[in-house]
Amino acid sequence: MSNLTSFIVRRLLIMIPTMFIISIICFVITELQPGDFLSQYLDNPRISPEQIEALRNELGLDKPAHYRYFLWLKNIVTKFDFGYSFSYQRPVFDLIWERMGWTIGISLLTILLQWLIAIPLGIFSAFNQYSFLDYMFSLIAFIGISLPEFFLALVLMFFALNSGYMYIGGLFSPDFLGAPWSFAKFVDLLKHLWIPLIVIGVSGIGGLYRVMRANLLDVINAPFITVLRARGLNESTVRKHAIKNALNPLVSIAGMELPNVFSGTIIASIVLNLPTIGPFFYNALLNHDQYLVMSFLMLIAFITQVGNLLADISLALLDPRIRIA
Amino acid sequence: MKKVLFSMFIFLTVVLMAADFFVEDKMLTSAPQPKIGGTLRLALPSTPESFLLYGSLDSSAYSVIMGPLMSPLVEYHPITNEIRPCIAKSWTISNDGRQVWFYLRDAYWSDGKPITADDVIFTMQYFVMNKYARGNSVDRFTIPDEKGVNKPITWTKINNKVVRADLPSPYGAFLTSLTAVYIYPKHKLEPSIDKNDLASVNKLWLSNTPASEIVVNGPYKLSQVIVDQKIVLERNPYFFKKDLYGNQLPYFDKLEYLIIKDPEIRLAKFMSGEIDYADVSAADYPRLKQLELAGNSPYVLFASQPVGSTPSPVHIAFNFDIANPKLKELFRKTEFREAMEYALNRQRIIEEIYNGLAIPGGGLVLPTNKAFYNPKVEQLMRPFDLKKAASILDSLGVVDKNKDGLRDLPDGSTFEFTILVQNQPKDYQQIAYIFSDELKKIGVKTNLQILDSSVVGQMFGAGNFECGIRAFGNQPDPQLRKAIWQPGQQLYYWHYSTMNRNTTPPSPVFAEMFDWEKKIWEIFEKAQIEMDQKKRKTLYDEWQELYYKHLPVIFVARQMNFFGANKLLGNVVQSKEGIPTFTVWTSYRK
Repeated sequence: MSNLTSFIVRRLLIMIPTMFIISIICFVITELQPGDFLSQYLDNPRISPEQIEALRNELGLDKPAHYRYFLWLKNIVTKFDFGYSFSYQRPVFDLIWERMGWTIGISLLTILLQWLIAIPLGIFSAFNQYSFLDYMFSLIAFIGISLPEFFLALVLMFFALNSGYMYIGGLFSPDFLGAPWSFAKFVDLLKHLWIPLIVIGVSGIGGLYRVMRANLLDVINAPFITVLRARGLNESTVRKHAIKNALNPLVSIAGMELPNVFSGTIIASIVLNLPTIGPFFYNALLNHDQYLVMSFLMLIAFITQVGNLLADISLALLDPRIRIA
Repeated sequence: MKKVLFSMFIFLTVVLMAADFFVEDKMLTSAPQPKIGGTLRLALPSTPESFLLYGSLDSSAYSVIMGPLMSPLVEYHPITNEIRPCIAKSWTISNDGRQVWFYLRDAYWSDGKPITADDVIFTMQYFVMNKYARGNSVDRFTIPDEKGVNKPITWTKINNKVVRADLPSPYGAFLTSLTAVYIYPKHKLEPSIDKNDLASVNKLWLSNTPASEIVVNGPYKLSQVIVDQKIVLERNPYFFKKDLYGNQLPYFDKLEYLIIKDPEIRLAKFMSGEIDYADVSAADYPRLKQLELAGNSPYVLFASQPVGSTPSPVHIAFNFDIANPKLKELFRKTEFREAMEYALNRQRIIEEIYNGLAIPGGGLVLPTNKAFYNPKVEQLMRPFDLKKAASILDSLGVVDKNKDGLRDLPDGSTFEFTILVQNQPKDYQQIAYIFSDELKKIGVKTNLQILDSSVVGQMFGAGNFECGIRAFGNQPDPQLRKAIWQPGQQLYYWHYSTMNRNTTPPSPVFAEMFDWEKKIWEIFEKAQIEMDQKKRKTLYDEWQELYYKHLPVIFVARQMNFFGANKLLGNVVQSKEGIPTFTVWTSYRK
């Protein structure tokens, strides 16, 4: 176990320089974006050039880039202050936090849905390789992987609207927004929720299904399965061992899934009018709200690293071979 | 509890009996028996960044504040655009036009405190004339005195209900400019201002302020903010407007804004009846109208002649200060720009891009703006005539010398220029395409440069373009567009050498101006200090003619306006000119 502890400590320490390098890359990229926060006001006759200059001064945008970067970094290190949003004039941390609830909720639900659907289907396909259903699931999976999410969202909404389905866009009907929780509100949520879950989840389901199927096929043909059979174990026990072994690589995929669900669904969230962080981030990008963009990117980077670390830890706990190596 | 409620009720009744109500116009409250109560639902593209108008430059904040939450001293009549009383029940102007007294009505904040002269002075001092406030209006309320020195308009409290404005010189657009000054409560805000750091006002009433802290004087007060989903306003029981029949306004109990970023979803929600009112584009109008005519839509659509500030009328500009000396010489010639106007096929643009639902020109002042429009410009617009365009170019020596099918400059090099245009809205680039297509027919080579709007704005601002397509919204009073149309100003971007940026504020460079530009410059100066509206109109008439004659920019077209309202909304009225009007305080659900 001490091996594992030192492994975790090492990984945590490595995260510090990694985050630092990522922050530099993010900053350079946001700097390279042409224009700045004030560009959007340049052709507004209500806003005089003096006002723009005053704002530039107030926001510190007149300072050189490296100065702004180190100031931002210093405040994070010394005060854990990720800076202010230029447009909302509030700490970016608060703004991101306000929008985290539904983001995490929908992400976790989506991941849960993906696993609940993809794993059993993958197992079924592997044990019934080249059957009609296997082909059909594979076809659907490929379509799911290749369809852009926002497009699927539009198609689903189009059909739903045309069939007279009213619960489209957002997570609640206007009447339930802000109302205290009740059974009716929960039902209303479910009526709205299935479209986003399908849209955001479907490419992940396809991918997971393919991985599960391939892994299991590899394992089924491995020598130890032949040995198990040779020893006379019944088929269901053999299958149980096969599935257990095939699940291992999926654990590392799970670690990668979290940041994907956070950042990979921005356009779909805009189209579906979801109150998640994606559309908010997109707006911040367009408005050059630099510290908000940076902090969000850093958050994604952090989640990715933590996700990887958790995956590695659970893999080590699950698989003695990795632990010993 | 009952006792408290009862005494509150008594207090409210007493206050309302003492209140000095503004009785709303018959045009807006024509229904004698409106139904009171219910919820009005509108859409917003994002959560407002602030609830302080002067601390923000956010258009969602503007939508919620200007009208629904806050009231100005004087306001535009929603239909006729005349200036009428609001918080000020009347005003008087001194004979020399340099002093204006405003008499405030007996009206109350949403917390029951009276609205006084102190609130007006406070708003002016800490917000409107505070150069550190993001949304300040220092520029609009600083005007030259008779010696030409810029001075601020000052405000003095005469007594609790009277304030006086002292103007350095008469200022024709003074009341017009005041319509955008919304009055904020001193008693609520002053304690939070750091007097040593006037930029601190920008941090007041941000999006996370508790609703109960936000004290207003508009028809509704803030009740709930559900981040990125919904803003709920509820009736302000102290609002000072009544209808003709004695009902206190607004009619609705609640006004909800659903936050919907994507315009398609907004439209879908409007079509399904979830949202009560929507602006519709020329591209969507035919489809929606069909559904309405088929009889199964929950809405009615209105089409009107162009009105309001958006969608902005598009124009084409040639850079007078371009670095290339040969192009510069050409672009500065009025004949060249005339040739370009002859080559501009407005009819084709209107048919192909706007489904026929636009008017030619439409720049400067809209035809529906009776106070300032000069109909003469319609005759001054040069009709589409490629032959004429070609012959003018011939006479300027821009002819095809090497017989490659393209016109050449007098020195033999190919004549070509780049048209800079932003990628959104789509009609801008479509106009660029049609313009360039017609020019090709007379041997003029053009290159299209389509870029993201923020980049394009910067390029225009730096004078870094050859030919550009751009648009600025209309305003009811030309004075409010001075920063664009007067030579030597910040947005006179096609001829920036008329502005000396090394002085603060920038000053005009007369040596760089053409005679007609000097004339335009003078017109704006004269009209600004003219209080007689008729004389102002005569001055601005001449300004419009000068623009259409000398073509500093060529106006292309302006879309008509399309609105949709839920069938069940009452008091959505259409004026004689076809302009539908809808206010959040006079509409009700049938």
